[in-house]
Amino acid sequence: MSLKSSIAMAAGKSSYWFLHTFFKGGSSLPGKITKRLDPDILATLGRDYDVIVITGTNGKTLTTALTVQVLKEKYENILTNPTGSNMEQGIITTFLHAAKVKGKRPLAVLEVDEANVIKVTQYIKPKAFVFTNIFRDQMDRYGEIYTTYQKILNGVALAPNATIIANGDAPIFHSKQLPNPIIYYGFDNQPSGDIKATPNTDGVLCPQCQHILHYHFISYSNLGDYFCPNCGYKRPKLNFALNKITNLTPKSSSFEIDGEPIKIDIGGVYNIYNALAAYTVGRFMGVSPAQTRQAFEKDKRIFGRQEEINIGGKLVTLILVKNPVGLNQVIDMISTDKDPFTFIGLLNANYADGIDTSWIWDGDFERLPMMAIKQFITGGQRYRDITYRLQVAGVDPKKHLVEPDLDKVVEMIPKAPTKKVYILATYTAMLSLRKTFAAKGFIKGGMG
Amino acid sequence: MTYSLHVCHLYGDLMNTYGDLGNILVLKYLANKMGVKLTSEVVSLGQDFDPDKFDIVVFGGGQDFEQSIVSKDIQTKKKGLTQFIENGGSVVAICGGYQLLGRYYIGANGEKLAGIGALDHYTDKQKDHRFIGNVVIQNEETGEKYHGFENHQGITFLGKGERPLGKVLEGHGNNGQDHTEGAIYKNVYCTYFHGPILARNNEIAKHVLMNALERKYPNADLSQAQSVKVGSTF
Repeated sequence: MSLKSSIAMAAGKSSYWFLHTFFKGGSSLPGKITKRLDPDILATLGRDYDVIVITGTNGKTLTTALTVQVLKEKYENILTNPTGSNMEQGIITTFLHAAKVKGKRPLAVLEVDEANVIKVTQYIKPKAFVFTNIFRDQMDRYGEIYTTYQKILNGVALAPNATIIANGDAPIFHSKQLPNPIIYYGFDNQPSGDIKATPNTDGVLCPQCQHILHYHFISYSNLGDYFCPNCGYKRPKLNFALNKITNLTPKSSSFEIDGEPIKIDIGGVYNIYNALAAYTVGRFMGVSPAQTRQAFEKDKRIFGRQEEINIGGKLVTLILVKNPVGLNQVIDMISTDKDPFTFIGLLNANYADGIDTSWIWDGDFERLPMMAIKQFITGGQRYRDITYRLQVAGVDPKKHLVEPDLDKVVEMIPKAPTKKVYILATYTAMLSLRKTFAAKGFIKGGMG
Repeated sequence: MTYSLHVCHLYGDLMNTYGDLGNILVLKYLANKMGVKLTSEVVSLGQDFDPDKFDIVVFGGGQDFEQSIVSKDIQTKKKGLTQFIENGGSVVAICGGYQLLGRYYIGANGEKLAGIGALDHYTDKQKDHRFIGNVVIQNEETGEKYHGFENHQGITFLGKGERPLGKVLEGHGNNGQDHTEGAIYKNVYCTYFHGPILARNNEIAKHVLMNALERKYPNADLSQAQSVKVGSTF
């Protein structure tokens, strides 16, 4: 190790200790300090690790957590980065913080922001990349899915020997010829028909001839068994496939991958994709299907994002929504609830929520009137937008209450006509609600 | 008598970036209140546009790549669309859709891409800058105020026979220079507004529906449809 690297690492580590001890923080600053002193520090830090990079616009965090869980069945030392540390500096900090490992070469499973893949591969040649999906986000809706994918590929180009483990149901991941070995995972659980995606779906052009793609079936959004009737372009052969979805509830999903029955304690078809990605990485790394099943059963806390909060005897589930694809998945998930419930939709339009609220019109709220929803409440800064959205979706005005003030919405929860309450909220609306919940003692502070 | 209107959702599967489907949903919702049955169908790549089949065309905004594909394909529909517009057909065109009805726009890599020239405006491009934010405009003929959200790099300049949808009170509008936003030509409404525009501004949705009804049923008594109240939803 060079003297420069040693000094840089020492500076970074001591700043981590300082921040961690006195401020309970320190996710990116130590990385920043270290990088300043030694710009190539990642090469030094990463060279003893087998690295798996997980990237894509949605599902990175859970896929990373699940992958670590699966690999733990076979490997002892696995380094991973905490949520929100998926940029270069956060990744440097993750390595700095790692305990020294003796003996076997350790693994690092890293969630990496799409644009930061290249900042990692400049210094580290990963063993594998995992591509979850690429959807457009409301935050930068002029940022194109193709541009995002190209950013990832620019990073991958520096590691042509790394195996790519990609979601085979996403047409974009089959659009470019790459030198890397590729493993595809996907869904194979529905009868074969000939359909097109709904008109407001993004990314449905054939990458080869620019005609509209058709599908034998769609799992959600533009994911599925696609084919182009014009030029014959089609989904690649899947190496690992989900064959069957046995049961879906808002809190769990049971399914079979390559015949192995698996249950995860989280709802939502999109989370099945995350589990399938982790399973595939496991298979790639020599973890057996049965071990993966066990891994998912062992530690249920990894799914612990959708907690249920008790408010005045009501079971409240608070869910973040930020883009149409995610929103539609949440709508789909709550539709699997067998019990009647109350639906609360809260729309803010601060920068962190996305200041353009037009995306709510791509949400399939038309499904709500068909569910066992006894009461609707809409609120937040843009309560008029979300209220009108539900009105147009056919929600019965007699069941629909409007309350802009989020604190007053919280007061309405104990009076809800059902035991179960689902709250769909944009980011700052969610923060504000959690603050109120914490102040009233319903939850222990913070984002949890 | 039951009235019906048929909407062409032009390139609805490609030009759909800003909740554009919302414009169709709102047209259906209001039409239903007016006692009008409204149906819609997507007309996209490789398909003909038959001007006699439709009463309203809704043409949304898309991503650069999709819009460049549409720019080529729409030339095959130029004749039909121009005829539809000249004969008083109702059109709502947003962002990329608005640009493509004009003479040309500038693509992602600086290349000049053809519109169909059914309207006389053209669109240049700001260098490394976008107009992003809330917009408020006033329709100077009706006095109505419209609310929306803009996010565009293109700067559009109106041409012969076009008048703006409104005068910019807040935000940037067509080009940030002449205080105009959008365009009106015959029964065509063009705009950079997301919102989507018809959801935020029910008045425009009503104008579009009434124009289409009057054209399709010139001798009918449309007072019931006309009596449906629309108010601010923003």
